[in-house]
Amino acid sequence: MIALSIAGVLAIFLLYTSIAGGGTPTLKPSQLAGHNDRVSLVGKVTGKPSGDGHDTALRFHLRDRDGTTAVPVVYRGSVPDLFKTGREVVVQGKLVDGMFVAAPGTLVTKCPSKYAPAKSSNT
Amino acid sequence: MADLGRAALFVSLGLAVYATVVGGWAARTHKRRLSDSAGNALFAALGSTAVAAAVLLSALLRHDFSFVYVAQHTSTELPTGYSISAFWGGQEGSLLLWLLVLTAYASAAVLINRRRAPDLVAWSVPVLGGVAVFFAFMLVAVSSPFETQTAPIEGAGLNPSLQNPYMLAHPPLLYLGYVGLTVPFAFGMGALLAGRTDERWIVATRRWTLIAWTALGVGQLLGAHWAYVEVGWGGYYAWDPVENAALMPWLAATAFLHSVMIQEKRGMLKVWNVLLVILAFCLSLFGTFLTRSGVVNSIHSFTESPLGPWFLGFICVVTAGSLALVFWRLPLLRTKTRLESLVSREAAFLYNNLLLVALCLTILWGVAFPMLSELVRGETRTVGRPYYDFFLRTFGLPLLLLMGIGPLIAWRRASLRSLGRMFVWPAGIAVAVGVVLLALGAGSSTPGLVAYTFSAFVLATIVLEFVRGTRAVGSFTQLVGRNRRRYGGYIVHASVVLLALGIAGSGAYGSTAERKLSRGQSLSVAGYTLTYRSLSQQRSANHIALRAAVDVSRGDKLVARVQPGKNRYFAEQQVSNEMAIHTDWLRAEDVDVIADQINPGGAIYFKVLVKPLVNLIWVAGLVFLAGALVALWPDAREQRRLAARYALAS
Repeated sequence: MIALSIAGVLAIFLLYTSIAGGGTPTLKPSQLAGHNDRVSLVGKVTGKPSGDGHDTALRFHLRDRDGTTAVPVVYRGSVPDLFKTGREVVVQGKLVDGMFVAAPGTLVTKCPSKYAPAKSSNT
Repeated sequence: MADLGRAALFVSLGLAVYATVVGGWAARTHKRRLSDSAGNALFAALGSTAVAAAVLLSALLRHDFSFVYVAQHTSTELPTGYSISAFWGGQEGSLLLWLLVLTAYASAAVLINRRRAPDLVAWSVPVLGGVAVFFAFMLVAVSSPFETQTAPIEGAGLNPSLQNPYMLAHPPLLYLGYVGLTVPFAFGMGALLAGRTDERWIVATRRWTLIAWTALGVGQLLGAHWAYVEVGWGGYYAWDPVENAALMPWLAATAFLHSVMIQEKRGMLKVWNVLLVILAFCLSLFGTFLTRSGVVNSIHSFTESPLGPWFLGFICVVTAGSLALVFWRLPLLRTKTRLESLVSREAAFLYNNLLLVALCLTILWGVAFPMLSELVRGETRTVGRPYYDFFLRTFGLPLLLLMGIGPLIAWRRASLRSLGRMFVWPAGIAVAVGVVLLALGAGSSTPGLVAYTFSAFVLATIVLEFVRGTRAVGSFTQLVGRNRRRYGGYIVHASVVLLALGIAGSGAYGSTAERKLSRGQSLSVAGYTLTYRSLSQQRSANHIALRAAVDVSRGDKLVARVQPGKNRYFAEQQVSNEMAIHTDWLRAEDVDVIADQINPGGAIYFKVLVKPLVNLIWVAGLVFLAGALVALWPDAREQRRLAARYALAS
């Protein structure tokens, strides 16, 4: 009986993971090359961002936390309060012709503190 | 002063080692007086840890920046309340809090049980001592709160996001929960070591588990309320690993609280109960590990804090050690009674347990997935909200239904006729509610409709139980007073229903609108019209507050004026979103207004969220606390039953 129930639960779990796939990959800018599917990009904001994400698209560059490879990002949607140069952020989207085109509303800043969860924006 | 703190921690470590080594030897050789002495060592460890805590607290209050910890987490301007909360604002202080709470729990549990169940306590003391050794060792050797330096003039201050009244209560409550799960774990292991695998360890620790579980539950809801009211994105739970860290042990403890009843009543599920208590304790260690090491960001960064490898090692030792112990005692854990029918109270409890554990483990998998995939494939993959929501629906909705069925169904074997008699009313009410809701348009979300219908069913069964009981006993207060455990449990069930309604309502039936508005323009969402009137600016000591005045109206009637905006802090160069909430009590929904972006010209991008029933979540927290207190309240009849049971056992 117990075995049967556990098997049932496992079956639901496997069914879900096989349909929905094994999650979204999270990549650094240096790992981005060759990925054409939707990914999460994590990196540090470098240079001066332009645009506000609403009237004009927000444009900025992301680089590896410990590296120099940078990729240009274009994004529309709400910009977290904590977004600024030097902050670590995560954004979802696709690489199109060397430009990372972000999905609207997916930009999230990583919290600088280990203690407080990164709820500074809509996740 | 710092020397006193260091010395006190060193004494705590010594006492904990004594409790473990001498206590273990005394239990093995049945030396009663030596066992008592090991237990006394835990009391003394509470004393010395309290001295260390007092030293740190006084340093925090005096802003003694010669303590590195004090300089890192406070500043002279910090109000007294937040100077106290800086105690657990950093890693070293929260470890000290862990040890303090642990020694307090251990002392109380030993004191209360040592006369009644000396053999059990004799073996529990070394387990409690072993856990205390780990934390005392961390505090002495790895992460000391008493490092000193030449005092700087000013401290770094407390992270602004932690300067919040919620942070005075939320972390200590979570720690009361995490640490409290050590007591049932230690007594469970003690029972295995002693070779006494009857249900006494469960009876002796039921209250402790309840306290820990209540603290964990209330602490989490406080955290959710903080996120909703203060963080300003209109949500209350984001399936963040740090949030899941507290949810997982709570789910495991919930399963444990249910399955122990089966062992008490029918002597079944002995192995399962021991495994659950191990799971709950390991998850509480894992939760502390998650919040205290950098592992959430990346598996390679968890060594950033010196704590990570030690914690991971300790969790591995605890898991391996306790599983080995279970395996060794397996012959003693065989049960004589078997499940007689798949339609019985026992079976309902079993399903409930499987669903709770399945939910807990799928969350664990989601939390561990990024780390595992990084280890195995060298590429971090994360699972997000859809993953968690899917499993919450798949396992949570049947759980909700079982909450109505379980308490009413007969033990051992239930006949279909008695089932029909029992459930004809609740099922009828649920179907009627479902039909009415469908007519009102709730069919837009199937999971939402199912959650509402199941909730109606469960509420009906609970009301029915109270009515039946009151009729039989004659008075409502007597009914609850005579069987606090049972009726306290029903109240907790009712709170879970409220929680489910709140989650389903705000999640499945919410509306959102986003638009750029200039002064005088308006937007409409879910029957509300929001008109942006004006923008004002106010300067205060440490920030500039920008506030938009927004009129909320329904039809032609103005119902409220709200003021969403942003605060710009000078010193931290941070901006914080100040969401405005209008609660419509009659319609039982919140209108959350966020000024997403304020342009220099005064135009604002507004985001408006309408969240039906979201306030039921906070009401659920109060009802949960009330129910838990009823179940916890000392019960003279139960005490007599207990005494009789102990007399039988010894």
